[in-house]
Amino acid sequence: MLDELIGISILLPFIAGTLCFLVKDHRVRAGIIVATGIALTIDSLLLFQGLSGSYSYTPESLLGIDINSLITFADFALLFIILAIAFKLGNPLIILLTLLQIVPLGYFELKMAHHVEVTPAFYIDSLSVIMNLIISIVGSLICIFGIRYMEEHEHHLHLKKSRQPRFFFFLVLFLGAMNGLVFANNLLWLYFFWEVTTFCSFMLIGHDRTEIAIRNATRALWMNMSGGVAFVAAIILIFHTTGSVEYLSLQTLINHGPALTSALLLPFSLLCFSGFTKAAQVPFQSWLCGAMVAPTPVSALLHSSTMVKAGVYLVVRLAPGYQGTFLSTMVATFGAFTFLTASALAVNMSNGKKILAYSTIANLGLIIACAGINTPAAIIAAVLLIIFHAISKGLLFLCVGTIEHAIGSRDIEDMRGLYNSMPAVSRITIIGILTMMLPPFGALMSKWMAIEAAAHIPWVVVMVALGSGLTVLFWARWAGLFVSGPHLKVFEADKDSGLLGPFVTMFKGFATKVKWNAPASIKVPMVSLAVGAIVLSLAVPWLYTTLVDPVLSSYRPGVFVEPFRTGPLGITSGTGAFYVLPVFLFSILGYIVAVAAVKRKGHRVISAPYMCGEQYADCAQPKFRSHLNSWKDYIAANIYMQDIIGEEKISYWINIVSLVILIVLFGEVLR
Amino acid sequence: MSMNEVVAVIAAILVSPIIGGLVAGLDRKVTARLQGRYGPPILQPFYDVLKLFGKEKMIVNYWQIFCAYMYLVADVLTIILLALQSDLLLIFFVLAVGGVFLVIGALAAESPYSQIGAQRELIQMLTYEPLLILVFVGIYLETGSFKISEIIANYNQPLLLSLPLLFVVMGYALVIKLKKSPFDIATSHHAHQEIVKGVLTEYSGPYLAIIEISHWYETVFLLGLCALFWHTSFVWMAVLVVATYFGEVLVDNVCARLTWRWMLPHAWTGGLIMAFANYFWIYEKIG
Amino acid sequence: MKSLINKSRVKSPWLIHFDCGSCNGCDIEVLACLTPVYDIERFGILNVGNPKHADILLVTGTVNHRNKKALKNVYDQMPEPKVVVAIGACGTTGGVFREAYNVVGGVDKVIPVDAYVSGCAPKPEAIIDGVIIALGKLAEKGKRVDQGIFERLEQTQTNIKKR
Ligand code: SF4
Repeated sequence: MLDELIGISILLPFIAGTLCFLVKDHRVRAGIIVATGIALTIDSLLLFQGLSGSYSYTPESLLGIDINSLITFADFALLFIILAIAFKLGNPLIILLTLLQIVPLGYFELKMAHHVEVTPAFYIDSLSVIMNLIISIVGSLICIFGIRYMEEHEHHLHLKKSRQPRFFFFLVLFLGAMNGLVFANNLLWLYFFWEVTTFCSFMLIGHDRTEIAIRNATRALWMNMSGGVAFVAAIILIFHTTGSVEYLSLQTLINHGPALTSALLLPFSLLCFSGFTKAAQVPFQSWLCGAMVAPTPVSALLHSSTMVKAGVYLVVRLAPGYQGTFLSTMVATFGAFTFLTASALAVNMSNGKKILAYSTIANLGLIIACAGINTPAAIIAAVLLIIFHAISKGLLFLCVGTIEHAIGSRDIEDMRGLYNSMPAVSRITIIGILTMMLPPFGALMSKWMAIEAAAHIPWVVVMVALGSGLTVLFWARWAGLFVSGPHLKVFEADKDSGLLGPFVTMFKGFATKVKWNAPASIKVPMVSLAVGAIVLSLAVPWLYTTLVDPVLSSYRPGVFVEPFRTGPLGITSGTGAFYVLPVFLFSILGYIVAVAAVKRKGHRVISAPYMCGEQYADCAQPKFRSHLNSWKDYIAANIYMQDIIGEEKISYWINIVSLVILIVLFGEVLR
Repeated sequence: MSMNEVVAVIAAILVSPIIGGLVAGLDRKVTARLQGRYGPPILQPFYDVLKLFGKEKMIVNYWQIFCAYMYLVADVLTIILLALQSDLLLIFFVLAVGGVFLVIGALAAESPYSQIGAQRELIQMLTYEPLLILVFVGIYLETGSFKISEIIANYNQPLLLSLPLLFVVMGYALVIKLKKSPFDIATSHHAHQEIVKGVLTEYSGPYLAIIEISHWYETVFLLGLCALFWHTSFVWMAVLVVATYFGEVLVDNVCARLTWRWMLPHAWTGGLIMAFANYFWIYEKIG
Repeated sequence: MKSLINKSRVKSPWLIHFDCGSCNGCDIEVLACLTPVYDIERFGILNVGNPKHADILLVTGTVNHRNKKALKNVYDQMPEPKVVVAIGACGTTGGVFREAYNVVGGVDKVIPVDAYVSGCAPKPEAIIDGVIIALGKLAEKGKRVDQGIFERLEQTQTNIKKR
């Protein structure tokens, strides 16, 4: 049963993607995508249900072909396609990086290790299942969102011939590759799926074929290819140092004996490096920011459930392998540094998508820092952060995409007062933002765990503390901008006053006269992600015991003791406690009181903002009286601190420092 | 929850605003005396708040009402968690919720003053939040726990003796949080400033009163944090809290307001250096 | 409770000072009230910069055609109950500028005034006295506010739809 489920979750997207490519009628294609999404979701839930402990699976053949050879063949085919693309782009760097993978890999497969058989080929434990759930559910929702979004997108672009088949081919394929990636135990297979995600992301980023899209796609390609080179080098080195293909199994590699720790440190560093490139850590942050040119579903997918998550997945997966080494400390330092700097960069962005991008990089940095801190509590923080970040970030990207289609801008300054015109979308966006930054929501709880875990490495905790201050800054003002604006008369409370009022308001908002006109394929993903973000935060004790805790036990049996206890109130550890439920209930209570206060009847004066007595009488249009009795508009804008931490100004230094950290890392490992 | 805890929570909810108000009144009185004035009655803050409750409701945008209440709720929750002696970091995060809603409410009004005030408030939050986290981490390193209950139960030495520098770091945070000069940048507890009343400009009447009460809760929370630094003896705890607050008033009176461009780098560098120095001290001691 | 609130109104009058067209003589005297010598904070009086927080509007100087709009706007942005004190010869009647082509006259030409303080410029004691007189009116108005009677000027506010 589990065998089939694993097979379906990997192969179904490949098949569905191909179908999407072949089918010309867009309604049929939509049907395929929705069906695939539902199937993947059910599949992942069944897998989650059926799995107890861990599970290994080695498929023998696919349609009579030996899978090992098939993957080797596909691997080389893919690399040669990339090589061809590199020649077409005329980019010598990518040519070089591709050759650096083809040649050593060929040498390895043909000369060094002749027939690499690794059992089990797939290894599934809680971590894989969590990743699989994220990919299948969040990823599918994003794909479904994409159906309608791409129609509008192409409508905006006035394309003669729809390029959607190609788009959805890669989009759906991506899910399959990611599923394969998180299930694979054979490093060579993992590498194959790794390269597929690189390739898919390249194709998707460059999808619009504008000059800037192609340039950014190329940048994404070369940065990820350098990670690929490190991956190949790691595979060869592992074989070289251990002399057996045994260690190409991820599980064996992680649970290696203490004698091998120092010898395997270099391959581990290389694999981590490869994860850093994929997770767009500094100094590779530019590819993820550049990826913003792609249509929104792509950004949402890259940022929340796929691609970058592959990078952190690898680092977290390997964490027990390098526990207690110098590498671990450096990974923590590196991650925390990324968290701090990416948060600082996010502060000086006014482009909504770029804020999201830098915030993603920052959160990934935090996850990597947790992996580097490498205590049980830290690993749990990392896994929880992966979950909550995927949901909230996926949601926020969909929101920004929707808003961008509606107002034609992704600048947060243009979202001022959007609540008055798009209450539903604004409300969901605000929920997304709040779930990223406030207690009792999951993302903040993971941050709490991270800080408590990091407490014994002073410089890491300092960077995390500074970074988390910065994140509050850019999230809070963004949420504030949505509600900024005049009081409009869309205030309709007659129907839902009374005891039920506040609850109704929670779903319908204050302003109900503006209807949300969007097709179900836009509404369903957004609403379900928003609900998911809240409900999962509430259900964190459950989530912890059923999903996250087994990660540890399957991780390194017997070594880790449970760092946290769950109770009806929330999560407690030996050193602290995070009362999810009381905080949540109290917040809900407060929320109800606040809404009731807003809706209270009685005399209330709506006044224009204070303008030294020179305000315009109609408060819906903030203006002030200027010379010769003329009315002037005014704008207030956020402080972006561009003169202090401007992107151009500090990116250079950030890159240098991060390179230094990497050099120290490798230098020390090589020594 | 045991009976004791229930009593503690109820007492905290009811008594904190009274203490906070009295502290605010004393603050004004002492400030006046330092300036050679007679000063208002001690109960003045209560009169102010009662009066504000009796004013007409005037808003720019209904989000202000919502945010004012959420600010109060977050601060009450902070006090409750403090009374329950729970996790320091959790309390701190809940405190941040209040700050965030205050800012959102200020941003909700399209007033240039409250907008600028909100931006400055955010930068102030940015300044003190990491500092407070560092203080808590220091407490953890010294006592081995983030939970106040366990710190009180297991650690039987005044924290001030081992964390003197971090206490100073917390002083920075206190100045900002209590809206004292030189860091009363977003809004001042004095009558008015160059951006009128900063974040509070557009809140008026009952909503301003709510924010004032939340501020009292915050004051009590901050003094509670102070008290944690000498939890072994009641007398010394009182002395420490009074001395700290008087120090804050003194600083308030001798300093002019600075800009955030000065505050952010200086508070961070000073705070970081002192925090690190204190960490190393702890490590030295532990060996 | 209501009586407590009304008592507080008298005990905590926050005032805003509006300079219409004063020669600054009156302004200086108003500010002198804040100094340690007079220390109006004794009475709980604060000089706030924002009509939305204020209870008492102190107006100095003559009203002219340009600033009468601003005066009215500031007055409108004060939540009830509120009182107005006109200060100085200029504030009460227009003073020596009364006949000027651009002058409207005293403050009471534009907004209702509750207390007049004469003098050119009035002494701080006189100003404080005026404020104290206005406080009596404030208490009266407060009672009316408690009954739900609000005395807003016409056509200046977008009142929320009655539900
Ligand atoms: S009353 Fe006298 S002092 Fe006051 S503004 Fe008029 S002229 Fe100046």
